[in-house]
Amino acid sequence: MTITADDLSPTISLDGVRKARGNLTQARIRWMTLAVVMGFLAVGGRLVQLGMVETDTTIEGQTRDVITATRPPILDRNGLEMAVDIRVPSLFAEPRRIIDVEEAVTKIRTVLPDLDEEWLRKRLSGNQGFVWIKRELTPAIEDQIMRLGIPGVDFITESKRFYPAMNEASHILGSTNVDNQGIAGIERHMDTESIALLQDLGLARGNALTPVELSVDMRVQHVLHDQLMDAMTRYQAIAAAGAMMDIYTGEIIALASVPDFNPNDPSSALVKDTFNRVTAGIFEPGSIFKTVTLAGALDEGTAKITDEFDARYGVRFGRYTIDDFHGKHRILTMPEVYKYSSNIGTIRIMQTMGKEAYRAFLTRMKFDQRVQFELPEMRVPSIPKELSEVGAATASFGHGLSVSPLHMLTAYAAFVNGGNYIAPTLYKRSVAQAEPLYERVIQPQTSAYLRYLMRLNAISSGGSGSQMNKAALGYRVGGKTGTAEKVVEGRYSSNKVTNFFASAFPLDNPRYAMVIMVDEPKAENPQSGTTAGWNAGALTGRVVQRVAPMLGIAPDFEQVLDQQIVPPEVRRIFPEGY
Amino acid sequence: MIRRLNIFLICTSIVMLVGVYMLKFSIEGTASERTGLIAHISEQEDELSTLKADWAVLNQPGYIEPIVRRHQAELAIDQVQQKQFGSFADLPMRPAEPDTQAMDALFQAIDAGIDPIDAILELEGIE
Repeated sequence: MTITADDLSPTISLDGVRKARGNLTQARIRWMTLAVVMGFLAVGGRLVQLGMVETDTTIEGQTRDVITATRPPILDRNGLEMAVDIRVPSLFAEPRRIIDVEEAVTKIRTVLPDLDEEWLRKRLSGNQGFVWIKRELTPAIEDQIMRLGIPGVDFITESKRFYPAMNEASHILGSTNVDNQGIAGIERHMDTESIALLQDLGLARGNALTPVELSVDMRVQHVLHDQLMDAMTRYQAIAAAGAMMDIYTGEIIALASVPDFNPNDPSSALVKDTFNRVTAGIFEPGSIFKTVTLAGALDEGTAKITDEFDARYGVRFGRYTIDDFHGKHRILTMPEVYKYSSNIGTIRIMQTMGKEAYRAFLTRMKFDQRVQFELPEMRVPSIPKELSEVGAATASFGHGLSVSPLHMLTAYAAFVNGGNYIAPTLYKRSVAQAEPLYERVIQPQTSAYLRYLMRLNAISSGGSGSQMNKAALGYRVGGKTGTAEKVVEGRYSSNKVTNFFASAFPLDNPRYAMVIMVDEPKAENPQSGTTAGWNAGALTGRVVQRVAPMLGIAPDFEQVLDQQIVPPEVRRIFPEGY
Repeated sequence: MIRRLNIFLICTSIVMLVGVYMLKFSIEGTASERTGLIAHISEQEDELSTLKADWAVLNQPGYIEPIVRRHQAELAIDQVQQKQFGSFADLPMRPAEPDTQAMDALFQAIDAGIDPIDAILELEGIE
């Protein structure tokens, strides 16, 4: 029995076949359940994980299209907008989706008749995916075209630069092209600085850009521009320009040059003669350069303010004789040389310091190089490397060298602010920020003498600045006229002149310097003349009369204010001071 | 037992299904609402940019001056002259205040029949 049992079934199977299969199935089901549970756990776990993830919403701004790239608004020093971005619709087409090109062309031209029919037909046929038809349109035109219902033609919103002041600050602002890149003026400068980089990084999107604050005061800018435009008709000049600067901070308060252009229509900048005469024009400065000569001699100590100079006869150089325009032909004191704008006297003053020292002084005043300034439109001044005897003589009264009006402005600012050269800027700057940039060019005492001389020229009888002072009474303005004859066919012409007036106010405690230029003016009426006092001078007076109250300068007729800037040495020769 | 459980589970899954779909549709609704709002905001931003530009134009001195010139004669306005400016230092001092107490005393005295002038006249020997 045992043998058979051993033989027949070596293993004893207690369960039946069915039961064994059932067990197997159950084990499989268990495994399956486990797998399913694991699966669900995995899905659940992933859901929990996804729920914990914080979505980064900041990235959304960067997906916006490049063409809505914005530029920061530009504000004047009082927060008035000088340049803003507006969103404008631009018309584009998808030629491959246009069914009837002829119909589309006809329809579009009913709204935009200035589009060339042939050009538009060529543009719309073909298999391209995207072509511009016309960019920067108005919402009204967008409406009209949408109503035409042409398939394959649509609008996209673009940022466009808009300059609400139109022409008024055109040379300061410059302009931008259709892709919103600065092509001139401060817009161009901003691009080279930072905006282009920001746009590349995709950060310059939306309206979140910090506004750029300029040093310009739009009210003053308006008055200056208005007066320059007035000068164009009043004196039938071919051009006029001017700039005003804060002498302590170097901030440009106003800068204008006419003829100008409308920055909203950049193509108008391509018209001839619209260049910025203040920075990109170089001119023979004429007699306003005499202040530089006097400053040099006074600062070197080679001439004193009480010295007398022989102006009885012209100065001879070989065959040439240099004489005075309003010749007094007597011995003149230094204040008289300045007041009567004596060429002879100025040459004598220059000769006390010698041509080398004089040339070195011009370098010290940075007349050799471009003025360090934000605007890209700049020209290098032209001054001979070495001055000959005659060259130095003519240079002493502003002939035979060419500088920009901006050079003269910065020089005058340094002359009246106590002798510190400060490079001009178009960005807002405080005195504290400007002080580390000061560069001493003349002594404070020399600066005090020059203030007196400039004021003397305005109020003393026979002073060349008296025309200027007529309108600006009470604002203590002083300055120097400059009538530079133009070279016509190789010789100096007496009826084609460039006139300047360089001034500063209020001279008892100066704050602002200004240079005005009028190019080829004619006499306003038969009683007036064409010298600088009649046009550039009178223009300066009218500008100061209007802007001084805006700049917080009250008129004051107290004689003592003028008397207190008279240097004590001068009292010995002119007891009354003026 | 199993049957009840199954019925319960089927009911729960139907409820869940309905719930999930409702959630899905409501989310789709919210999403389209959001897109609509974004479009609306961008439209309004466009409008705002135009309005801001308008405002900037209206504030420009160059825009205001022609308006002033146009109404110059009617409103009798002109450019401010130097003599129109003044300072606080130029104002005269306030005149001395009248002595109200003394005046009151005087009137009371007159009312009471005492005339201070009489005394002076008597002293001078007039009358």
